[in-house]
Amino acid sequence: MPPKAPRNFLGLVLIAPALAVVVLLFLIPLCEAVLGAFRTDAGFGLENVSKTYALYSRDIAFTFVIIALSALLIALISVLFSGYLTLGTNARAVALLRWLYRWPLFVPFIVVGQILRTFLAKNGLMNNLIVSTGAVSPMDTIGFLDWRGVVIAFVWKQVPFVTLLLAGAMASLDRGTIEAARNLGASRIRLLLEIVLPQVASTLMVALTLSVVTMMSVLSVPLMLNPHSPTMITVNMAFRINAYGDYGVANVLGLVSFAITGLVAWIYLRATLKENIR
Amino acid sequence: MNMMPSAIAQARSLRKGGEEDAGHDAGQTDFLTIRGLEAGYAGTRVLKGIDLSVFKGEFIALLGSSGCGKSTLLRTLAGFAKPDAGEIRVAGRDVTRLGPDKRGMALVFQSYALWPHMSVAQNIGYGLKLAGRAKADIASRVGELQMQLGLGGLEQRKPAELSGGQRQRVALARALAVQPDILLLDEPLSNLDARIRLTVRHEIIALQRRLGTTAIHVTHDREEAMVMADRIVILNEGAIAQVGTPQDVYKRPASAFVAAFMGAENCLPLSIEKSGAGLHVHANDLCEGASLPIPSNPLVSGPVEARFRPQAVELTPHQPQTGTEPGGDGAVIFKGRVEQTSYPGGAWRHVVSLGSHSVVADAQRSFAPGEAVNLRVAAEDLFLFSPA
Repeated sequence: MPPKAPRNFLGLVLIAPALAVVVLLFLIPLCEAVLGAFRTDAGFGLENVSKTYALYSRDIAFTFVIIALSALLIALISVLFSGYLTLGTNARAVALLRWLYRWPLFVPFIVVGQILRTFLAKNGLMNNLIVSTGAVSPMDTIGFLDWRGVVIAFVWKQVPFVTLLLAGAMASLDRGTIEAARNLGASRIRLLLEIVLPQVASTLMVALTLSVVTMMSVLSVPLMLNPHSPTMITVNMAFRINAYGDYGVANVLGLVSFAITGLVAWIYLRATLKENIR
Repeated sequence: MNMMPSAIAQARSLRKGGEEDAGHDAGQTDFLTIRGLEAGYAGTRVLKGIDLSVFKGEFIALLGSSGCGKSTLLRTLAGFAKPDAGEIRVAGRDVTRLGPDKRGMALVFQSYALWPHMSVAQNIGYGLKLAGRAKADIASRVGELQMQLGLGGLEQRKPAELSGGQRQRVALARALAVQPDILLLDEPLSNLDARIRLTVRHEIIALQRRLGTTAIHVTHDREEAMVMADRIVILNEGAIAQVGTPQDVYKRPASAFVAAFMGAENCLPLSIEKSGAGLHVHANDLCEGASLPIPSNPLVSGPVEARFRPQAVELTPHQPQTGTEPGGDGAVIFKGRVEQTSYPGGAWRHVVSLGSHSVVADAQRSFAPGEAVNLRVAAEDLFLFSPA
């Protein structure tokens, strides 16, 4: 066995590249952004913060609501999908869903934005289809190119991801726990809500946390589907930098999105810690 | 919780009405009836026509090695596997196509399958909650079961905080809470360590007797089946090889498979001739000639397979026969040479070679390797089977 000191040194050498990447590409830019948020022409101060509040408080609230609503819908639909994949009795329908649901995973956000822009517009494919059934006249169609478009895009893109993780966790459950409940007369919906879901709750939390972080960082979707005000803060950040070179306000907006994702991460960590203590 | 072993023995002898009872009492009406049951998956037939009748309150053990179909039979009974053919009736009602919750059966899983997010009390009471029983009702029934099963004070614990034996009892309590007509047990003791297993065995029997619940218990453990069951169903390759009381299957195995499964692993070829008076065993390289009474199972003159247990052998130093006297009446005497001697406890165990064959024989004293010995096996301990 090699002596202790050189072994420790070897360990440090091995993690050095990864550490360097974290420090150079994450920690330093993060510190720079935090400092930048408070840097003004007259030294450090809260000018950028008050400016951000005055200009973008509505957008921050909008972002928060869109993300929360999307996460809620993603959770709901993913639970239904993965629940059907786990508990479904129609083997053919289950196989079809299993084959279909993953496709959006392989479509980049910008393509999703593009597809939905043509699909959801007032004269888009969706409304054309509805009009062709005769349910709505061409005059009464409504375009979905606003907050609804953003939510639909986020949900469409993230449901497969959350379903993938959730269905995997459900598949690895002891099948007996489901059968034992069926044996005692539990309906399909009770099986899902009272037996299966509580056992995979931590996986759902992880998947949703990751989804929130992803949605918080998407620029293309709100830019393409909801270009008007109020909009998501990613759009505001890009606009501050591109149009004004105003890094101060962009950095404050960055901190706000960091605070939102941080909040979600905190909720997640608290839940997992509680579980581990148990 | 602990029922005295003597009380268990008494309950058992009352149930069986003595050792020679054939087991299934014709006076009792069948409670669970299985007719021509076939099941399988992916083109493999796992159950090949199972016929079985069980009466109310009976404890049946489904015994067989892995892959024999015993778990499939249990799952088909429970309604988790669909049969391809045949029918299952409970108290005259056809339940073959009913859901798992409509059959009056509760299954105790091998893994216990407790719900990890629920407390002991919630696990036990879940079936009652599903049945729409009032909260107070559920609480009192759960408390009662906890007392009966020695789980007092554990109601708030999660399954992860329980020992293996306690989990097993929670699983049992959960199944019993809904007062099923039939309790299905899928190797419920196989995950317990050996010492606890013996205790839990007796606890399950005592509880089942007290409640009068009909029980079907799947196991691959011969001793467990013998100790627990009123009748044993031995399964082989998806078919019933024999049904009978523990004494029946032990003392009168119906086939070479059952004999081997019940411990008669020693196997030697013999040649017999049947006559009106009895059975004559021809002398050969392995044994002296002998006359035996005709056993109950069908035999034809010619080559047979002889099976016996190591404990059934009376091992003595080899004595050459005088030639005039037959090997013995009512016993066969084999000639062999000791190969190995060991002491597993209780008796000395010997591996004895007989020409190209070898058998295991127990004796109270040890014989040295290389020693020539006689192996005397009495007729009642010798199981003869004509080739199929």
